[in-house]
Amino acid sequence: MKLSSINYLVGKGISSVWKNKMMSFASFCIMLVSLLMVGLSVLASININKIISGIEGKNEVIVIVKDDSTDEVITALESSIKDIGNVDTVSFYSKEEAWKSMIENMSKEEQDLFQYAEGDNPLPDTYKVSVKDIEKMADTTNRMSTLEGVESVKASNEFADVLISIRNIFSVIALAVVVALIIVCLVIISNTTRTSVFARRKEINIMKYVGATNKFIKIPFQIEGTIVGLLAAVAAFILTMFVYKGVFNLFQGNYQLWSILGINSLYSFRTIFLPVAIAYLAAGAIIGAIGTTISTSKYVKV
Amino acid sequence: MQKTLVKAEFKGGVVLVEFNDVSVTYSSGVDALNHISLKINDGDFAFVVGSSGAGKSTLIKLILKEIDATEGTVTVNGFNLRKLKRRKIPNLRRTLGIVFQDFRLIPTMTVYENVAFVLRVIDAPKKYIKSRVPYVISLVGLAHKAKAYPEQLSGGEQQRVALARALVNDPQLIIADEPTGNIDPALSYEIVELLKGINECGTTILMVTHEHDIVRHFGGRIININAGSIAFDETIGGANET
Repeated sequence: MKLSSINYLVGKGISSVWKNKMMSFASFCIMLVSLLMVGLSVLASININKIISGIEGKNEVIVIVKDDSTDEVITALESSIKDIGNVDTVSFYSKEEAWKSMIENMSKEEQDLFQYAEGDNPLPDTYKVSVKDIEKMADTTNRMSTLEGVESVKASNEFADVLISIRNIFSVIALAVVVALIIVCLVIISNTTRTSVFARRKEINIMKYVGATNKFIKIPFQIEGTIVGLLAAVAAFILTMFVYKGVFNLFQGNYQLWSILGINSLYSFRTIFLPVAIAYLAAGAIIGAIGTTISTSKYVKV
Repeated sequence: MQKTLVKAEFKGGVVLVEFNDVSVTYSSGVDALNHISLKINDGDFAFVVGSSGAGKSTLIKLILKEIDATEGTVTVNGFNLRKLKRRKIPNLRRTLGIVFQDFRLIPTMTVYENVAFVLRVIDAPKKYIKSRVPYVISLVGLAHKAKAYPEQLSGGEQQRVALARALVNDPQLIIADEPTGNIDPALSYEIVELLKGINECGTTILMVTHEHDIVRHFGGRIININAGSIAFDETIGGANET
């Protein structure tokens, strides 16, 4: 195909957007709503995953060292814990540090009362261990409790189980919602473009009679669909930015949510700006082009 | 112009359309054509006449490869339509000029664009389109309406645009399916005169009509189809020749 023909077909596609403005607007609205539904669902999904991962990261295991352990045993224990696997970080917290920390957190009266008891520090030496995979928490803690010099292991396995359940259930729901939305969107979009193509079926018919190939007929429709898809993507991106920033500010401005979820529990829009823009533009263009390809195929068979 | 002169020299020598023992039975069980054999030679002007349901439209559909023959072979402009693959149909149609009863102009395109579209489809050079299209539009007397849209034209004018579109690609054969069916009787003669003029320049014309007055007036080769068979295929003199 010559460059002049490509220019002509692209020009036809662009001018068709305006010439069929009512249909273009209908397709635009449907695509906008569809892209927004899918886009916001995906954004909610990745943020909830981040929140859950953040909470998981805070889940520590406390390994209490036997009181009569020698320094060698205590030192060897650190590498033994690391050797178990599924261990992210290990930090030693001596009984002296624990005592000091406890006293600091007390009221003045309590401090006065306890300062004389320092010589009889009853607190144990501990290791604070964070695990990599919360799903293997129970197995990891069981293995830690069998190590030499370990008195006991304190871990909230129940909490870990709850988090795992939440994450799994959420992942399934999020995936199901996104897949369902994508299917619904494709059906709606292909029906909308079909209406648009149906309205011009006579035009397509005439083109076939004068010897136009299927490709020659489809290209302007595909360009038209792609342009409408890209316009819808730009609008969806702008709306998403406002909605996202609004929700983000709501979270960041709420101290209670902050303290529960952590300061960096949500992605800031600046960090996801580029991938979101690219994803919207790509999805808009692809859905627009595919939608029109599906719907024109039926009418080019003359 | 040289091309049309060459065609004229071969008048009667080259077969453009050949039906060889062709039958068409629709899925509904209706026999539309029964074992017809027919030849349209280069340079012919042939009227295909017959009552409604006689098989005229089926004949046109076969030539355009809208449908396939149930039996027999159809050859058009050197294409054996039985062997022609679906994706090659555009190649066949590009060798034809087609004029329909209902004009079938693209409503969103101007007169110029409607005519130029045929050349764009075959990837014609821009320069050629710019010179050829105004020339063909002026041939049908519509140079002053080149920028008008079909809805701004009368029936006769729309049919002339359709004729220009059929002509622009300099086809070997023009199929005119009831080209006068939707226009005033006075204008009908104008359209057929135009077709006659095109034919005199060497282009073969196959015109389907049920208007006997026109056939009687112009004369020429008459192919009468009745109940799916050729009842009559002869050349008669026209009233305007006497």
